[in-house]
Amino acid sequence: MHRTVAAIAANTVRELVRSKLLYNLLLFAALFIGGSLFVAQLTIGNWLRIILDMGLGAIELAGTLLAVIIGVGVVAGEIQRKTILPTLAKPVPRWAFCLGRYAGLVLLLAANVGLMLGVLAAVLHLAGYSLSATAVWAAVLIAVELAVMAAVALLFASFSTPLLAGAYALALFLIGHLISDLQAFAARSKSAALASIARGFYMLLPDLEMLNLKSHAANELAVGGAFVWRAAAYGLCYAAVVLVLAILIFSRRDLN
Amino acid sequence: MNAACYNAAVFDRAIRPALILAVLVAGAAGSAVLRRSAERLAPGAVDALYDVPPIPGDVARSLAFGFRSLISDFTFLEAIQVLAPRKSNWTQAEYDPVDRRLYRLLDYSVEVDPKFAGAYRFAGAALPHETVDAKVLGVLSAVNILEKGVRERPDDWHVPFLLGFLQSYYLHDFAAAGRSFAVAARAHGAPSYVGLLATRVAAQGGSLDMGLELAQAMLAQANEDETRRAWKERVDALMMERDLRAIEAAAQRYRADRGAFPPSLRELIAARYLTREPEEPHGGRYLLDRGGTARSTAAERLRVFGDSTHLEVH
Repeated sequence: MHRTVAAIAANTVRELVRSKLLYNLLLFAALFIGGSLFVAQLTIGNWLRIILDMGLGAIELAGTLLAVIIGVGVVAGEIQRKTILPTLAKPVPRWAFCLGRYAGLVLLLAANVGLMLGVLAAVLHLAGYSLSATAVWAAVLIAVELAVMAAVALLFASFSTPLLAGAYALALFLIGHLISDLQAFAARSKSAALASIARGFYMLLPDLEMLNLKSHAANELAVGGAFVWRAAAYGLCYAAVVLVLAILIFSRRDLN
Repeated sequence: MNAACYNAAVFDRAIRPALILAVLVAGAAGSAVLRRSAERLAPGAVDALYDVPPIPGDVARSLAFGFRSLISDFTFLEAIQVLAPRKSNWTQAEYDPVDRRLYRLLDYSVEVDPKFAGAYRFAGAALPHETVDAKVLGVLSAVNILEKGVRERPDDWHVPFLLGFLQSYYLHDFAAAGRSFAVAARAHGAPSYVGLLATRVAAQGGSLDMGLELAQAMLAQANEDETRRAWKERVDALMMERDLRAIEAAAQRYRADRGAFPPSLRELIAARYLTREPEEPHGGRYLLDRGGTARSTAAERLRVFGDSTHLEVH
């Protein structure tokens, strides 16, 4: 069965590399990263910080939009256009379809992060700097964040329309970056019930700030490898759970 | 029919391209002429008022959705644009609105991203400045930001170092300056002279030599050309002040022995009250008037560093 999944993943990658949206967003990110070299000239010192902030920010923003828009499209779009039916008419289980689509999407997102990191390294080289270990860790965790967002997009796409699924996924991206405030709220709340509810939501929702090392990279702060691997493992586990939920819902969905 | 076809073919081959070309040329020429004409009639540019966003910094930190350092960069870049038009010959009244905006923007930057070492350093260097009416502005604002910086970035020796400099040079709080230099000396990468300053500032605070040593240390750690130029000027001014005081002290000794001030610096040297004429750091010469007051031909005397005369610090 893994051959079926691999074939669907490969087909997804082939399909997505023909997408105009992909190239538009990549061009936007590359221009943003290249533009950082000019913006940095407006500052006194702090070139490295400005280039890293703009570069890593562009990688995350473009990657998130790709993960959400394409992630929703690879399942919900196919359901809406009914193009999923010929695929499922073959001996392809729904879980394999979902997993294959997700694997293809994540491969493409990881390749994009790698490519954009290469552009960022080239821009830094032009400015006389090199990529720090923290900047590379930040990019690794951005790739993990995109894997989470792709799984979230797939989850919402498994039971909703493309437009709503995209809106839900983007809302979860924003909530995921506010989640540490929810933890602080739980710690400060005088009501035990409210604190429990806040803690429950904190455990349920993705903590995307855990995967955010952009400020550390920009401020040239060292980050331990142990933290990075643990945070990455957390993100991948979360993505796996969300993906399983997406597969469960998708398997029971009436496609007619 | 054939004539109609022939006419259509001629239109397609010759007239249509010529028409398109004519429209393009006319459009380009028209846009160039109209642009010039509109530029002449355009109202004067409205000065951009750079200021902090309407959302408080601590709220913006949460609402940045993971892009807080980018927002912090934005207000930092605005602060640099605010600094650009500041002139060195303004009075306090002219400086005040610019300085207030500069402080708000830098404070916002470090509120949104408390680890922004560059903003702390910039605040320490850009906020304090002297005016033509003998005041030093921005020192207390800079101290406020730098104290936060020492808490947030104890690993960056420049931040406590700048704080120590302001505390000793302008505020004359040598005990606090000694503590700040000690913090700087303990940070990774701090030059060895920072540790020496930490011990000396408490013992010799307020002396001209101490001030000169501080200014030389600031010159050594300055990264940007403009900052380096400013500190080189300050070092030269302090060296000139040291020389002028040495000449005036020698003139006082001369008067104590002989009942009158020497008529010139040359006479003071000839009478061996000075071993030689000091080298004027700006490239000029020193002169001594008959009242025993020394001056330079190249630069105004420094108002700042006296044992009794201090600038009004804000």
